[in-house]
Amino acid sequence: MPDPVLSLDTVRLSLRSNAGEVEILRGLSAHAERGETLGLIGPSGSGKSSLLMIMGGLERATSGRVHALGQDLTAMNEDALARFRRAHMGIVFQSFHLIPTMTALENVATPLELAGHKDAFGRAAEELDAVGLDKRKDHYPAQMSGGEQQRVALARAAAPRPDILLADEPTGNLDGATGEAIMDLLFGLRDRHGATLVLVTHAPELTRRCDRVIRLEDGRIAGEGATAEAAE
Amino acid sequence: MSLPNAARIARRELRGGLRAFWVFLACLALGVAAIAAVGTVREGIEGGLDREGAALLGGDAELSFTYRFANAEEIGWMLERAGALSEVVDFRSMAVTGEGEAARRALTQVKGVDDAYPLYGEVRLQGGQPLGDALAGRGARPGAVMAPVLAARLGLETGDTFRLGTGNFVLAGLIEAEPDDAGDGFGLGPRTLVRRIDLQGTGLLEPGTLFDSKYRMTLPPDTDLEALEAAARARFADEGLRWRDRRNGAPGIAEFVEQMSAFLVLVGMAGLAVGGIGVSSAVNAYLDRKTEVIATLKSLGADGRTIFLAYFMQIGALALIGIGMGLAIGAAAPLLAAPLLEDRLPIPADFGLYPQPLAEAALYGALAAALFTLWPLSRAEAVRPAALFRGSVERRSLPRARYLVATLALAGALVGSAAILSPEPILALYAALGVAGSLALLALAAAGTRIVARRLTRSRLLRGRTTLRLAAGSVGGPGGETAAVILSLGLGLSVLSAVGQVDHNLRSAIETELPDVAPAFFVLDIQPSQIDGYLSRVEGDPGVSRVDTAPMLRGVISQINGRPASEVADHWVLSGDRGVTYSEAPPARTTLTSGTWWPEGYDGPPQVSFAAEEGAEMGLALGDAITVNILGREITAEITSFREVDFSSAGIGFIMSMNPAALEGYPHSWISTVYAEPDAEAALLRDISGAYPNITAIGVRDAIARVSEVLGSVVAAITSGAGATLLTGIVVLIGAAAAGVRARIFEAAVLRTVGAVRGQVLTYLALRSALLGAAAGLVALLAGTISAWAVMTFVLDADFSIAAGPALAIVFGGALASLLAGLAFAWRPLSVRPAGVLRARE
Repeated sequence: MPDPVLSLDTVRLSLRSNAGEVEILRGLSAHAERGETLGLIGPSGSGKSSLLMIMGGLERATSGRVHALGQDLTAMNEDALARFRRAHMGIVFQSFHLIPTMTALENVATPLELAGHKDAFGRAAEELDAVGLDKRKDHYPAQMSGGEQQRVALARAAAPRPDILLADEPTGNLDGATGEAIMDLLFGLRDRHGATLVLVTHAPELTRRCDRVIRLEDGRIAGEGATAEAAE
Repeated sequence: MSLPNAARIARRELRGGLRAFWVFLACLALGVAAIAAVGTVREGIEGGLDREGAALLGGDAELSFTYRFANAEEIGWMLERAGALSEVVDFRSMAVTGEGEAARRALTQVKGVDDAYPLYGEVRLQGGQPLGDALAGRGARPGAVMAPVLAARLGLETGDTFRLGTGNFVLAGLIEAEPDDAGDGFGLGPRTLVRRIDLQGTGLLEPGTLFDSKYRMTLPPDTDLEALEAAARARFADEGLRWRDRRNGAPGIAEFVEQMSAFLVLVGMAGLAVGGIGVSSAVNAYLDRKTEVIATLKSLGADGRTIFLAYFMQIGALALIGIGMGLAIGAAAPLLAAPLLEDRLPIPADFGLYPQPLAEAALYGALAAALFTLWPLSRAEAVRPAALFRGSVERRSLPRARYLVATLALAGALVGSAAILSPEPILALYAALGVAGSLALLALAAAGTRIVARRLTRSRLLRGRTTLRLAAGSVGGPGGETAAVILSLGLGLSVLSAVGQVDHNLRSAIETELPDVAPAFFVLDIQPSQIDGYLSRVEGDPGVSRVDTAPMLRGVISQINGRPASEVADHWVLSGDRGVTYSEAPPARTTLTSGTWWPEGYDGPPQVSFAAEEGAEMGLALGDAITVNILGREITAEITSFREVDFSSAGIGFIMSMNPAALEGYPHSWISTVYAEPDAEAALLRDISGAYPNITAIGVRDAIARVSEVLGSVVAAITSGAGATLLTGIVVLIGAAAAGVRARIFEAAVLRTVGAVRGQVLTYLALRSALLGAAAGLVALLAGTISAWAVMTFVLDADFSIAAGPALAIVFGGALASLLAGLAFAWRPLSVRPAGVLRARE
């Protein structure tokens, strides 16, 4: 078996809340191969998004190990994690999370600039062209529709040519047609850059486009298979 | 009926407590507190002046004359009415100690008193010695007491002797308190007190010498002072008397306090305007947070009027709390500081609770709160239920017409009440215009800053400078606090900048430029018999480059063209006695602007040459008749010429110069200015004072130092006022930084998600704050400089140049204040985990 791009070993995650400590992930192990599209499904509160955040180094596991591209994310400090993300990861959120004070072009150029890319704005413009937003480069997020904002978010995630693309319900806030267009773009980006894609979704039609699907329930892996049905 | 519903909604909404409104409350409270405190201090001082009016004056009423003592008829009139009468003579002179090279001299304001002095209050001497004992002297030598600072300047100790004119005095005590000191007004030299009788034979009160005689009376408590004043003026209309009474014992101080407090209240109103920006931002931020609530209420059937009223009531209740806090602070601060203030003030003050200044401050606070919250509140009405789905507020570029009208009415009411309540209505109107103009300029500047910042983010200059581009993008982007920070911090810094620039220019004019063009010293009271000897000494000195001399009398302009002068014009020239000179021919360097000088030997009806600028201001023309009262006699002269008189170089300058025959027979002395090398000054002063002990020589450097000292105190008071404005600006700044924390946390989370390390996020946050502050500082520098230029050019009629030091300090200070406020709120964006922030927004 080739080295996995992402691997999680007995990962636990507990978060403090007003009601006391809540166990979100309960000793979970999983992996994703290079170029693979992995779907994460499960009911609300099952830990899908938390798992994705841990894969992206945005959340720290309470225990267990997380490796990405052979590097131990759990051993890295916050700044090392940020550097790792800028070099190897692109993340897309359900609520887009664009910076409202930046135009589309600036939002896309930011990770490239942070990575010291020589032609950050040229590359950003190319990425916006690729998602069909060449005419909206100078618009602020508030001046764009939800679908357009998500396309900017996709361009931002894809611009640094990441090895790993993480997407957290990227169509959750969009209508069916727009969501479908966004997914086409997302899979197109994956194909173009040969990235590993990990996708949290509730949409059955999306899981059908995944190579493998993991179903979570109550912080544990409840099933795994080539399709959602197989993972049941 | 929407009112009860609105009230219920308002009550429920306020249950969340006041924590979210601290900026609102602090801004309003600070503005109201500053105005209330200034007003309370003013009332306290005025109350003290009122209570101590008789002591400050030295009697219940005072008649005074210049150049002469009262004649028997005048004294008889006073004795008929007074319970007691005291005669005081007041003049400038030189106190001298030692002989020859070792002699030390100092300018002093001498007061010669009789046994009845003081009619009210008491002169306290160090050591508790009675004044009468001290002035009695030792043996044959008369006694004197003086201000400790003067004794120190002369190196005198109690028991030492010194000279006034040709008289020798023994220093018998040092003055701790002099009841009528403040009432005597501004003096260039510290006080020396002697018996009037001991001044005889000193050569200091010769005819023509400049002195004031003052006659203080005690009067029965039920005396109608107004009627008595009218009777005195009618009885001695032509004799040049001046009248003062206990109703205004220290008119100079009362006027100064009134003008100063009027000015400080206006500075306080600038503070209220700055606070208004904070209040407006706070209400905007609050309503932004409430958009969903409002949309929900509307979807449940609340109409726009109910919504407006509900939030108007909430803001109204908060405004009442803020105003109440401000009044409490403004009333309490002077009371708490009273022990300190009373010690430092040279005048009595009754600090207490005064309703009028508090009511005034409350009125300004309420009007400002209404003015600055109306527009944001009008947005509440405009929120549509669709905001629930779209998550955005519908922003109108302008509110509805009724809100515009109400805004204009409120602004008018605020400016109108400031003008009506201020003793300086014109100043109040100009100040209001200044604040409004500055706000407009700052609003334009805020828009300009955003455009420039936007341009910068797109410029190739910033490519690769990621954090700087991010900062510029944030300053120029939508939302954010750019406008609030530039308006509030900018206005606060503008006031400080204007004060700094005016102060620098005034100081530069007085301390640097004036000594270059001014004479080394003025010499007063040169007797006609001394003038030749004096001139031969000074003109023969190689260190002296120029000597000007002129005969001098003093007189009051009583009539213009046969009408009382005060009815014809309101001008400083008419407010007291002025110097009058005479000259056969136009003196050197005289430029006539119109008319002709009288022919040599002219002895017809009196003619006068009048100062051109002042004459024009008073509306005088050639041929007008000016009546001047000199030594109780009236001379009416025709204006036959106007001439340029330059008072700015501190040379000899007379408003009026008459033909010599007109003033023939009037006793007078000569005045002289000496332009000399600094090295020659000491010897000159020594020789002149030695040869003519009655002469007073005033070193211009000493006078400048004294004026600078007074100016320093005034500037310090104004700077404190401007500081209060800046403090409000900083509260707004901190409030804006606090309000922006959520946005900064989100930005930091996203930036870190896309790969920014903490150092980069911190640099971004710091640059963002510093850019905002520097922009506010630059704009403030511009607004402050324009204001300072206007004050120097139009009010003070002086040159203006930009002072680089204060200017840089303003820009740097703005950047630093904003940077510190930004950094104070940076730790949360830096410390939170991206996942938690982003998850919360999902």
